[in-house]
Amino acid sequence: MSDFSRIMVFAKRLMRERLFSTRMYIMLPILLLFIPGMAWGFSDPNIVLPGGHQPESPMEVLFYASLGVVFGATMCAVLLSYDSVSRERASGVLELRLSQPMPRAHQALAMILGSWRAILVPTWILLVLSVLIVRYRMGDWPSLGDCLVYFISTALILLWYVLFTLLASSYTRDQGTAISFGVGLWFLFTFLWALVTTMVAYASGVSIGQENDAAWVVLEGGLDLLSPNGVYHHLLETRLSQIDRGIAVWQTWAMALAWTLVPSWLFIRRMEKILP
Amino acid sequence: MEEVVLRLKDATYRHSLYAPLAFKPWRKISGQGIFSANLSLHKGTILGLVGPNGAGKTTLLRMMAGILPLQEGSIYESEKNSSAVLSDVNLRNMVGHMPEQVRWQGRKTVRDALLEIGEMRQVNESRIDGLLKLVGLRSRIDAPLNELSQGMRQRLTLAAALLGSPNILLLDEPLNGLDPVAAAAFIVLLGKLTDKGVSIVISSHQVEGLVGIIGRLALMHRGQILAEGTMLEVAEQLNLEKKTEVSGEGKAPDFSKYVSTAELIEVEQSSGEWRAVLNKSEPGLLKNLVADGIEITSWTIRQPNVIEMLCAATGQSIEDVGLEVSSTAVMPLRNFRGEEE
Repeated sequence: MSDFSRIMVFAKRLMRERLFSTRMYIMLPILLLFIPGMAWGFSDPNIVLPGGHQPESPMEVLFYASLGVVFGATMCAVLLSYDSVSRERASGVLELRLSQPMPRAHQALAMILGSWRAILVPTWILLVLSVLIVRYRMGDWPSLGDCLVYFISTALILLWYVLFTLLASSYTRDQGTAISFGVGLWFLFTFLWALVTTMVAYASGVSIGQENDAAWVVLEGGLDLLSPNGVYHHLLETRLSQIDRGIAVWQTWAMALAWTLVPSWLFIRRMEKILP
Repeated sequence: MEEVVLRLKDATYRHSLYAPLAFKPWRKISGQGIFSANLSLHKGTILGLVGPNGAGKTTLLRMMAGILPLQEGSIYESEKNSSAVLSDVNLRNMVGHMPEQVRWQGRKTVRDALLEIGEMRQVNESRIDGLLKLVGLRSRIDAPLNELSQGMRQRLTLAAALLGSPNILLLDEPLNGLDPVAAAAFIVLLGKLTDKGVSIVISSHQVEGLVGIIGRLALMHRGQILAEGTMLEVAEQLNLEKKTEVSGEGKAPDFSKYVSTAELIEVEQSSGEWRAVLNKSEPGLLKNLVADGIEITSWTIRQPNVIEMLCAATGQSIEDVGLEVSSTAVMPLRNFRGEEE
């Protein structure tokens, strides 16, 4: 068996373990309500958003429905992987794994892939359902490009949250600390980032919340690159021509790459040095 | 002498401890660990690692398992007349490691748990049935891990260590949680493995029960190997002679009248019976005791036991060796801002 096959086999085993876990059964209704539920709501022909705005295209509906991913799927990613390392470490199974000839970097990669795919598979199935709902309600399909960006960027944001949680899990034996870190980070990027943006704007002398003020729009767009949720929205906005926040497409994808590679590298490095 | 299969030369590993300062919160210092350990594993032989709590037995086993990296020194694979430094991956290929008290848990079955480890070692699935039979878990093959008793978990860990037919088996407290019958069966199993040429390193607090099968002994204290060899060699290194153990009925005699060259190291008196231990044999002792009408019920000349060897090696009494854990047993645990690292 090649190294790649071994990583994939190990990842598949970890994925199945999490995919059919009790906590997944608990989280599935939440995901179901958040992802297809939002797609159903935002694709209502009579919906009027704040400011009197009405979604015009299927991609715009999917963009608004991505709130379900930001609020529900990312939290599920945290809850699914917070004990990936810490539980094995506390039980002694990690020591047994570390004594196996499979290189630790490969074990780390398998853990990333296994935990990520465990949340990715149900989320993507629900995204497909969302696309079908949008088609049913609006009578129009999103383009192939829209779907590709939507699915890939959703996969990326889930990967980022899985990576943060795995990193936290690898630094603690205490599972409470690992979950606190994951949930704390989720709160920071989901709810508190607006506060961070406001504070930076205040400190920079930019008028806060003025959607017509170019300085505010650029500042908010720039700071969003420092948040995984912000990058996720930037990625989705690449398919919405009416939104321009002063961030080039390449900048968005470069930050997406950075958010993927840096935590992955940190986690692999951590696993190479971890003590049982 | 048996062929040497693995050799540790000046192997050193010191735990890193966080010692934060106000302006240097990341500061680390080197703590306890293993200092310049030299050890040889012989083919088909069981090496017993003996030492008080915190002596570094588990740390040494983890170094030999390729889990903890050597900071100094090397581990060599000895084949015939040549020896080669082993990389961590090669070392892990050679070694099967049974950590202390793995708490297997979850809804995963026994078979799946072994398959997972087996995939990491590239072991054929067909081998798993045989291994489970060997450790007496075949009837539980589809049982969830949550339903296993502590003894069954120990057996499962042993099966995991045996995956991949390792040449060297490292066992950390393998008898913990096993009932006496299972422990006896386990000892028989170790004998079978050594017959097949597997070299075993065993760290156990119940080492007295394993003395019969241990070929070699390493005495450890405060991260150092104080003596290593066969029981006889270690006794010789420590200048320990055969002990004389006498017991009798009535009141214990005043041994100062009978002993001139030997030293009395232990006397026990209990309800009309007594027992005394002398550090070596005393010429004419039995004859003199009998001549004075003292009733002798047993007379044994025996090798020094492991605890006596440990006391002699450390220069401490049983109480000191056994209870001195406060400074050493805590060494692998590190705290960083209140969190155990």
